[in-house]
Amino acid sequence: MPAANVAAQVRTSLASLKASDLQDAQIMEVLKLAHQLTDTMKLFFSSLDQSICQEFNYIADYISRTRDEISALRPNDIKTERIPSAGVELEAVVGDTEKATETIMSAAEAVLCEDATDYDEYRAAVEARMMTIIEACSFQDLAGQRVSKVVNSLRHVESRVARFAEVMGVRDADGFESEEEKAERERNEKNLLNGPAVGGPETSQDDIDAMFADAGSVPDLDQNSIDSLFD
Amino acid sequence: MAVEMTMPILVVDDYKTMIRIIRNLLKQIGFENVDEAADGQEAYQKMQENKYGLVISDWNMEPMTGYELLQKVRADESMKATPFIMVTAESKTENVVAAKRAGVNNYIVKPFNAGTLKAKMSAVLGDF
Repeated sequence: MPAANVAAQVRTSLASLKASDLQDAQIMEVLKLAHQLTDTMKLFFSSLDQSICQEFNYIADYISRTRDEISALRPNDIKTERIPSAGVELEAVVGDTEKATETIMSAAEAVLCEDATDYDEYRAAVEARMMTIIEACSFQDLAGQRVSKVVNSLRHVESRVARFAEVMGVRDADGFESEEEKAERERNEKNLLNGPAVGGPETSQDDIDAMFADAGSVPDLDQNSIDSLFD
Repeated sequence: MAVEMTMPILVVDDYKTMIRIIRNLLKQIGFENVDEAADGQEAYQKMQENKYGLVISDWNMEPMTGYELLQKVRADESMKATPFIMVTAESKTENVVAAKRAGVNNYIVKPFNAGTLKAKMSAVLGDF
C-alpha cells in the first residue's frame, strides 16, 4: 500500500476516534498529537513517494533508451549476417589462395622437370606453364574484393559499437577475460607468439645474421636494450 | 668435413605449401632426402625414431611450437647435437634472442629465398 494511503487511513481512524465523544482530556491531547504527527508523516511520505516515482521513471526511461540503442546496434544483423558473411568471405580467400598456390607451384615444378633437349618443345612447354601461372594469379583480384567486403563489415560493426558505447557512456570493465582468452594469452606469452609483423620483419635478416655472425654467445641484451629496439 | 648431400633433413611446418616450397628449395640446392612433420610433437616423435642431419622448423605451430621443439631437442641427450634452423615469420628481437639462447644454430625470417636458405645451411653445416 502506498505511504500516502497509509497516512490517510491513520487520519481517518483518528478522526473517527475524536468524533466518538471521548471525555478524557489526556486522551484528547494524545489524539491531537497523533493527528499532528499524521499530518507531518503525510507530507513526508508524499515527498518520498514523489522522489521514488521520479527515480523509477528515470530508470524506465534509461531502460527504454538502452533498448532503443541496442535495437539501433542491430545485434541480430551483426550476429546472423555480417560476421558469418565475413567468415565465409575469408574462408573463400583462403580456399582461392590455396588453389592458386597449388596451380602455380605445380606449373613451376613441371617447368623444373621439363626435358630441355629439344629447344622448341622445351620453349613451348615452358610458355604454356607460364600462361597457367599468369592465369592463376587472377585470384589476387577476387581475394582483394573479398577482403574489401570483410573490411567494410568490420568497419560497420566498429561504427555501430562505437556509437552505442558513446551514447550509453559505456566504459570497459577492467580485467575481464574468459578462460579461453586467458589460456590463449598465456600460451602466446610463454611461446613468444607474436605473429608476422605488418610491413615486413621487425628485425631484418641482416640484423639477425649479425647476431649469429659472432660465433660466441648471444649478445647480452638487457630489457632496456631490447625495449629500445621496439621504440 | 664435407656435407653429406644424402643426409635426411626434417622440415617442420603446419602449412603444406611451406613444406613444399622448402622441399623445392632444398632440391634446387641438392638435398632430396627430406622428411616432414606438421608440428613440434610429430617432429619430436620422428626424431626419436630417426636420426636427421638437420631440422628446419617453423615457430608458430599447434599443439607444440617450434620453440618448444627446440627446447626439447636440446634437452634430449640422444638428439641435442642435431643442427636446428628456425624459419619463421616471428621477427621480434626477443624471439631471435630466445631461440639463440635455447640453442638454435641459425634463424631465417619469412619470406626468404633459396640463396638465404643455402647460406644459412652452409653456415651451420659447412660448405657444400
